[in-house]
Amino acid sequence: MKQVYLYKYGLAILALLFSINAFSQSISYKGRVVDERNLPLPGVSIKVKETAQGVTSDNAGNFQFTSTNKGPLTLNISYVGYDAIEKSILAGQEFTVALVPNAKSLSEVVVIGYGTVKKSDVTGAVSTIGSKDLNPGSVTNPLQQLAGKAAGVNITQTGSEPGTSPSVRIRGITSLIGGNDPLVVIDGIQGNMDLLTQVPPSEIESVDILKDASATAIYGSRGAPGVIIITTRKSKAGKSSVDYTANTSIDVLPKGLKTLDADQWWQQAQLYNVPASANHGSSTDWYNLLTQTGVTQNHTIAFGGGANNFNYRASLSAILQTGSVIKSNYKNYIGRIQATQKALDDKLTLTMNLNNGINNTNYSPTGVGRESFRSNLISNAYVTRPTDPVYNTDGSYYSDPNIFQYINPYAVANTVVNENHINSLFGSLRADLQLYKGLSVGWFGSWRKVDGNSGYYLPAASTVSTAIDNQGIANINNYHNDEKLMDISLNYKVNFGDHSLDAVAVYETQAQTYNGNFAQAKGFINDIATYNALQLGDLSKVTPGDISSYKNDRSLVSFLGRVNYSYKNRYLLTASYRRDGSSVFGVNHKWGDFPSGSIAWKIDEESFMKDQNIFSALKLRGGYGITGNQQGLSPQGSLQLVGYSGVTYFGGAPITNFVVSQNANPDLRWETRKQTNIGIDFGLFKGRLTGTIDAFTATTDNLLFGYTVPQPPFPYPNITANVGSLLNEGLELSLSYDVIKTQNTTLTLAGNGSLLKNKVLSLSGSIAGVPLNTNYVSWGINSYLIEGMPIGSFNILQHKGKDAANAETVIDQNGDGLIDQGNQSPDRVIEGSAIPKYTYAFTPSFRYKNFDASMVWRGSGGNKIYNTIRPSLSYFENLGKSNVLESAVPLGLYTSQYSSDLWLENGAFLRWENLSFGYTVKTEKIKYVSSLRLSLTGSNLLLITKYTGIDPELNVSGGSGSGSDGGIYPRTRTFSLGLNVVFK
Amino acid sequence: MKKILLSFIILAVATQGCKKVNESVYDKYSASEFYSSPKGADVALANVYSQVSGNWGTGYAGADNCWYDLNTMSSDEQVIPHRNTGDWQLDFAQLYQRQWLPTSVIVNNTWNWLYKSIYTANLAVDQLQQSNAEASKIAEAKVLRAFFYYLLIDDFGSVPFYTDNNITVDKIPQASRTTVYNFVVKELTDNVDKLTETKGGVYYGRFNKWAGYALLAKVYLNAEVYTGTAKWADCLAACDKVSQGSFSLHPGGANAASPLGYQYYELFGDKLPEDETILAIYATADIVSRNIYALRSVNGPNGVALFGFSGWNGTIVPRPYYDRYDNADIRKKQYLVGAQPGGVTYTADVTSLDNPGAGPNEGIRGVKFFPVPPQNGSGESNDFPIYRYADILLMKAECNVRLGNAAAAKPFIDQVRQRAGLGALTSNPSLEDVYNERGFELNWEGHRRQDMIRFNKFLLAHDFAPAAPAFRLLFPIPTSALNANPGLKQNTGY
Repeated sequence: MKQVYLYKYGLAILALLFSINAFSQSISYKGRVVDERNLPLPGVSIKVKETAQGVTSDNAGNFQFTSTNKGPLTLNISYVGYDAIEKSILAGQEFTVALVPNAKSLSEVVVIGYGTVKKSDVTGAVSTIGSKDLNPGSVTNPLQQLAGKAAGVNITQTGSEPGTSPSVRIRGITSLIGGNDPLVVIDGIQGNMDLLTQVPPSEIESVDILKDASATAIYGSRGAPGVIIITTRKSKAGKSSVDYTANTSIDVLPKGLKTLDADQWWQQAQLYNVPASANHGSSTDWYNLLTQTGVTQNHTIAFGGGANNFNYRASLSAILQTGSVIKSNYKNYIGRIQATQKALDDKLTLTMNLNNGINNTNYSPTGVGRESFRSNLISNAYVTRPTDPVYNTDGSYYSDPNIFQYINPYAVANTVVNENHINSLFGSLRADLQLYKGLSVGWFGSWRKVDGNSGYYLPAASTVSTAIDNQGIANINNYHNDEKLMDISLNYKVNFGDHSLDAVAVYETQAQTYNGNFAQAKGFINDIATYNALQLGDLSKVTPGDISSYKNDRSLVSFLGRVNYSYKNRYLLTASYRRDGSSVFGVNHKWGDFPSGSIAWKIDEESFMKDQNIFSALKLRGGYGITGNQQGLSPQGSLQLVGYSGVTYFGGAPITNFVVSQNANPDLRWETRKQTNIGIDFGLFKGRLTGTIDAFTATTDNLLFGYTVPQPPFPYPNITANVGSLLNEGLELSLSYDVIKTQNTTLTLAGNGSLLKNKVLSLSGSIAGVPLNTNYVSWGINSYLIEGMPIGSFNILQHKGKDAANAETVIDQNGDGLIDQGNQSPDRVIEGSAIPKYTYAFTPSFRYKNFDASMVWRGSGGNKIYNTIRPSLSYFENLGKSNVLESAVPLGLYTSQYSSDLWLENGAFLRWENLSFGYTVKTEKIKYVSSLRLSLTGSNLLLITKYTGIDPELNVSGGSGSGSDGGIYPRTRTFSLGLNVVFK
Repeated sequence: MKKILLSFIILAVATQGCKKVNESVYDKYSASEFYSSPKGADVALANVYSQVSGNWGTGYAGADNCWYDLNTMSSDEQVIPHRNTGDWQLDFAQLYQRQWLPTSVIVNNTWNWLYKSIYTANLAVDQLQQSNAEASKIAEAKVLRAFFYYLLIDDFGSVPFYTDNNITVDKIPQASRTTVYNFVVKELTDNVDKLTETKGGVYYGRFNKWAGYALLAKVYLNAEVYTGTAKWADCLAACDKVSQGSFSLHPGGANAASPLGYQYYELFGDKLPEDETILAIYATADIVSRNIYALRSVNGPNGVALFGFSGWNGTIVPRPYYDRYDNADIRKKQYLVGAQPGGVTYTADVTSLDNPGAGPNEGIRGVKFFPVPPQNGSGESNDFPIYRYADILLMKAECNVRLGNAAAAKPFIDQVRQRAGLGALTSNPSLEDVYNERGFELNWEGHRRQDMIRFNKFLLAHDFAPAAPAFRLLFPIPTSALNANPGLKQNTGY
């Protein structure tokens, strides 16, 4: 309260002074500052160039001053997060100036974990994306807003299935065992990627992506794969608002695969001696039957307000999506409230956050089909013969009893229930207390609870053979995750002379508990209750595995500290150190140390740079750090345990069978990643051209992996251990150039690109004296981990042609007359890798007065895709029971005993990700509306690729099977209409 | 500065004692505690038996893609042809045509299954010894281990050999077939007498003394193949030991309540009759093991009509094999040919095994394991006979013939024939007679490949393959095993 009084008295005195001056012919100048949505901006700094006077705007955005100068005067108006502007003012004139948020300066403050720094003081590799720069349009997950926006951050989505999230890899694949997903931090709450589904896309203020180890080391054992920090919108003191944001899109499917129609199929069938009994005389377009035009809607209502010592913001969002494959849909509701209160003479700040997300999804069934062809429904639609009818004459779904495990995909789509419900709640409380000048202590606690429940019902009517055998299968899966985090921090900031220091010390504990149960019943008289009443099933059909439950937990204790030091605001040093103890490791290796250091030199601040006007900013950065990975490792991995393994017959009765689930490995420990980063940030020509270049090299040591061990003596062919190492090297560039920048018009060309080199350095070594010979590890179909080669290198037989019987032949590379199909066969050749070598994006934007437009083009390449589904749709040996692609006809392959490079395709693509137009309506004359914006966005407008599958954008997880296309949910092209209204 | 110092001290104190990151286990047992209890020792032994049960890619018999398919489809008694409707991969036809590769899934599964079984048996022997279990249980685990090693040398020849799991791979030599044979013989002769003589009850599906001797007899029967030195007399002696267990042939006569109308088929049903069965694999579909063999053979509608579940339209019996049966033989009832329930007509001839594949209804089908409930579309509950007395009788006949005592052999072979509704042989049996009778009686029970090799029939040309080179008498060591252990030497010819 003190400050308010001071402010009022101060103003009064000021006014008095001015009024005295008025006697000496002083003239009064008045004005108002608003933001891009026409809302008042308080606290804006206004400097009068001619008189060197300075004032700030009040809570209503108004300012006034008097001067003896008759004017016109030039005002220099600046505010954090907005473009500074120069305007001339005339006395007595009504003057309103609207500030434009600047994408680059919006994030003048960068969140670096356990604190913030000014953008110009960042020493590590950090990408910051402000809300203005997020991808517009139909968005169901915040990651979609980031695609193409940051160099070295590869975000891909496999198809557009409602309820599925994109995957993201920051600077390549860091680990083989998993744990490649970045850590997600939302307003201080740490979590896995699923935390993102609880953030309403329109409530994001900014996103900071920590890329190099000097930045992520502060997150220690969870920092290796990078960190995504999301800051949500907060209300500002003195401003209150009610916002409504809506977006509705029509989701259509671009072209699918071309398969034979009924006539073409029968024509081919006759050529290949398929018996007439396989032709059931219909003409069915299964793909068309299973797809529809989808609709995605986003609605958010948000309101908030505050005074100097208090503010709050609340919002309610609904994301509603109807999938383009029939019967698949997604509903996500997020309610959140945030409040901040100051007390004890503003020395204590309390911030509380509460967020509840309710997530209901109906998934399209996957893993269906006959034993030799398990895929999703769309792939099954392609495979089903076009001559098969949909229904029998009695109205029931058609099924062909002469085919082993026949399925009717339309029956599956219409009868299978595959629901998932997630209720997740998180809350946090932060308390910051100023103890002493520059010294504060903080306490932060967060708690997240996720209660999930999925229900599945596979009725006999689905035509799936196991469902027919069991007269319906129903199951319910319940799971509960409980994640708690608590930290105590000390923060000390001091400036003395040319030195400035910001130090933080933190003690943190995290505890995560996972438990759940599963129950299944079979044999239902009818399908009315689906999975809702398991007791209605035939309990005599209960078999082992129908009931199960689990519980495990993990804990992490950390001590960490960081010092940010700057000398003369030119030389910057950041050093951090973290010591983590994790429960999941072997008893000998629970603790790990994660130090980092980085320096930066702001060359533009040097005296010798004063007289040049090429560089408006120039900063050189360098850093090194060590981070760890433990999240990819499941609990209990180091212990020798005995668990359930089905039922065996012994002693005259079936009894529960127990097995040693794994061998003890007390040496199981952290996987560590050492990363060096060098970067340069620059601004040229008065800041019109800005850019960042980063180069990094990162080595993962003590690589956690399931290493191949000989069988005998091991009972299983692999063991989890720390042996090998992995290298990622990359170069990242992002550039932005303001081609036109005037009061009314801006045209900015921006883009980014990154090169990534990935290599498996070693996989061999020994565990406790047992030599390991891990190499040429199968990593998907024809894809391998080979020492000295990128992850997922294709080592493959080369297609040659076909023999007299139309069976495929391959090249006998070593000419020994035999085709060896072993992993290390000399008949295989290396033909590229599943991991893209380069990614790039082009993101121009344009604004003219109230009209704006932007687009994103992005692409990647240098990778190969194994089109796994294509051979199944190409060999004519399958024709009697399935359809084939049109492209199979000229190939004319009957069968193949190989999987050759005939199906290995170039994975490069360029996608026109989106094009968006926006118009901000003038609202001065509308009574209750202070801002109104309309936008139209088209997404996935064009795809340029040589890949013949549904979409070349597949999972980039780097895990086993990446780079192989086993059939995906199709990717939609969307056209959306957006609306944003701010009420007075 | 005092305040700063103070707060650091507070922080340090507050965090002391919060440094423990021990792991708690809620949903599993600790191995050391578990196996030291008497109950735990039993469980260790039960776990070895769980290896024998058949499920996809593992187990002795009952399911597919492991030991049973490898040892039956490579013989002349059954095969799954690729169908011109697109069903069935070529793996099985490849076995029948003797074109299997070191990368073959079935070869690989069999190897992995056997070595996981050896590991499990070693573990059980170790745990039983440590917990001072009864001698019979330790002997039982050792006999099981010998059983797995016998299966290994039978298929693969010279194989890695070890009896203690606490060992590194460089200490596991690839032992010659003879060395492992000698180990198996010694382990059996040392331990078989320690096994119980009780039949059935808690010992159903387990190695008792009689099953132990049946195994020993099998090892001696094939000694010449394994080592070059025949052991016919030893085999006879072991068979005589089995006979002391007072076994007899189960009646074969017509009985409306029995599967396929004959009591004989009860030998392949549920809870195999104790009079004849020496060692069985217990199966209850979806609970323990399974038996897919009838279901895998018949086609969809025929399966529904016969036993209520859609068949897989897989296994056929090659016509030359079927044609050898006498029409009066009740054992011919297990084959389906011609018009069948469900509106299907099976033709006896198969036109193609691989390209373009057999027509949908081509081939004779086999329902020896006529399904018993509980059953569904993925398996039945028929138990599987590993050893039965008819086999012992035919082994006795064979040894006698080979020892030049054909007259002594005749009663054994006649017993088996007469039970099947045939007359006694009109003259003393030749080796060919023994071989044929084994084919009629023991088909689909996993003996055929071994018998064909012992009778020098295995490499001969047949309906879908030319004569095979001698290296095909052994299966190759799988490529994955060679990759993981460079010390292994591949069998010659592969």
